Amino acid sequence: MSGQKSCRASNLNENEINDLVWRLQALLPRLNRRTDSRVSVSKILKETCSHIKKLQKEVEELSERVIELMESADITEIDEESLRRLLLH
Amino acid sequence: MASLESIVDPISSETYQEGSQRKRRKIGHDAGNDQDSLPAIPWRSETEQRTYSSKLVEALRRVLRQGSSSTAKPRLGRDVREVADRVLAVTARGRTRWSRAILASPLSRRKFQRQHKKVKKAANGLKKPEVRRERRRLPAVQRKARVLGRLVPGCRKVSFPSLLEETTDYISALEMQVRAMTALTELLGGGAPANRLG
Repeated sequence: MSGQKSCRASNLNENEINDLVWRLQALLPRLNRRTDSRVSVSKILKETCSHIKKLQKEVEELSERVIELMESADITEIDEESLRRLLLH
Repeated sequence: MASLESIVDPISSETYQEGSQRKRRKIGHDAGNDQDSLPAIPWRSETEQRTYSSKLVEALRRVLRQGSSSTAKPRLGRDVREVADRVLAVTARGRTRWSRAILASPLSRRKFQRQHKKVKKAANGLKKPEVRRERRRLPAVQRKARVLGRLVPGCRKVSFPSLLEETTDYISALEMQVRAMTALTELLGGGAPANRLG
């Protein structure tokens, strides 16, 4: 760790990492209102984990709803026109 | 699920460029370096969402046709989730680790994860007490990074910078997935329960 070469390399990594952490923070709705200097990396990582879990849970719930709706509407032939409306917003 | 990949259409590079410019402006940092190493998919663009939505519907139709009478209901819900994730991974065009990991995993992905956890617990009992204590002394950042690595597909053993890059992309992709599927449920008439016909 004391060699000059590794010092330079770790410096580069640190800047790179800080940059990446800030980019990540920008995505987190609960954290990106504050100035980045006040939020610790640890807190950002923690918030990232809960944000991902929340999103994954949402996808799961949406999947259940999609299947319920598809079954109740008997939608193996999904309405082409509504679909086109959705997709060509 | 090989049929999913045959659905992939060549997507024009124009939307990709304008999307990544949009991303740069939003983030505001001079991220010139890392943009080259991990080209950003413009998850926020409408085109990406449309692409994803159409592929998703196509894939869901096939699932429904295949599992009409034989598959039980709860399993079908899980199938939808898997299809949604796989189509998401396909939309990522193989540029990220998490998307490649999803596509490479067998269909019963969840079963694998549960087994992995069980194995870990058994191994703990065999470890020496010193090693166990050392694990508790890990700094908070490293502990949380490990948890994060388990949440993002295929990122258990990647470097910290890579993990951050993958996570950033993964979150944007997930948010797009939520938007697209929400729009789909609204299309199917799931806005309010009173909307059901017949």
